[in-house]
Amino acid sequence: MTVCSTTFTGLGRAQSKAMGCAQMPILVIPHPFGTRTRDEIRDIAAQCAEQLMALMAKEKQP
Amino acid sequence: MTSGVQQAEEHAATFQAEDDLEAINRLYQERNWGDGLPIIPPTAERVERMLAGTHLARHDVVARLAPAFGAATTERIAINAVMAGCEPRTMPVLIAAVQGLADADFNLQAIQATTNPVAIWVIVSGPLADTLGFNSGWNCLGEGNAANATVGRAVRLLLRNVGGALPGQMDRATQGQPGRYTMCCAENEARSPWPALRAEYGFGADDSTVTVVGIEGTMNMNTHSKQVDELLRVFAETMVHPPSNEYVHGGEPWLMISPEHADICMRGGFGKEQVRQRLWELTKMPARDMAERDLYRARASRRKELGEIQADTLLPISHDPKDIRIMVAGGPGTHSVYIPCFGNSRAATRRIDMPG
Repeated sequence: MTVCSTTFTGLGRAQSKAMGCAQMPILVIPHPFGTRTRDEIRDIAAQCAEQLMALMAKEKQP
Repeated sequence: MTSGVQQAEEHAATFQAEDDLEAINRLYQERNWGDGLPIIPPTAERVERMLAGTHLARHDVVARLAPAFGAATTERIAINAVMAGCEPRTMPVLIAAVQGLADADFNLQAIQATTNPVAIWVIVSGPLADTLGFNSGWNCLGEGNAANATVGRAVRLLLRNVGGALPGQMDRATQGQPGRYTMCCAENEARSPWPALRAEYGFGADDSTVTVVGIEGTMNMNTHSKQVDELLRVFAETMVHPPSNEYVHGGEPWLMISPEHADICMRGGFGKEQVRQRLWELTKMPARDMAERDLYRARASRRKELGEIQADTLLPISHDPKDIRIMVAGGPGTHSVYIPCFGNSRAATRRIDMPG
């Protein structure tokens, strides 16, 4: 799986398709990312934790 | 079929269109197949004429172009060459350029998908530059020369139509730059006091080559200095640029030096190696000049090269002086050009193989 901010999600999906991994799970986080403070990043991480766990569990399924 | 060369499984599609140039151009715009400028319709007859410019077979895969990893077959290169207005005799130049784009160190994946405005600069070096009509002199980065304009444009069309880098989709350039329409010129070997660019890549005097470079832009350096130490000092001051990928990653900055400035260097006893070494020393920049976030990126990217970067560390613009690339081009005048690189990329050079 990979992580993309909202504005790069289309690129991530197109790229995974081009590489033959069209079903690769993508964790989507809000954009922009690079200009946020560390506290804001921690908040985003906390908010995404549940989605991340769900995607990882899905990837583990045969 | 050519033995040993990969053949594309999918061939270029054909379709019927009204024999109306404006209608065809509207169709190409609607389907996002162009660069915004009118194209020459790639009819079957025109593509056949273009294919006659190379010895490669129609379905040979010259390379796969990131990020979509579409197959750049001879046929698809020819189609985009027709659209750009190329002459068939420039097909081998385009094929060499496509081979260079796929070089692993060129890092086309990052170049195509980045927010950076990176454009592809195509440099032709060697006897074929004149034979094929490329401009290395007056206004060589400007308008007016068909070979420069159309080959550079065809490369961009291939990056879009085969590489799949469409702005706002897989191409994430924040602003882009005008050089993304076309950027191609030849080396002015006749007016260079130094060995040719292709010699640095191990090619012989009789060879002709194409070099592709991922560049952030161009910065004119107009100086009437006649003294080499002063000339290189002001060049270096132009190159020092804190919000730059060169300093974050250790890049491959390029200088297009005018014949007059090159003569000043030579009269001062400076060959290319001495110019590189002097510029490398003069362009070292205190790490504290970078924005804090950029310094953080530089620490992550250059730790292996430089160890732990402190605020007073002097950051070199490139890993090694030899990474500063120099070529002579342009006409008379006191203008040279600083051409910053994408950073995480190295130029790639390939020989031009003419048919027969």
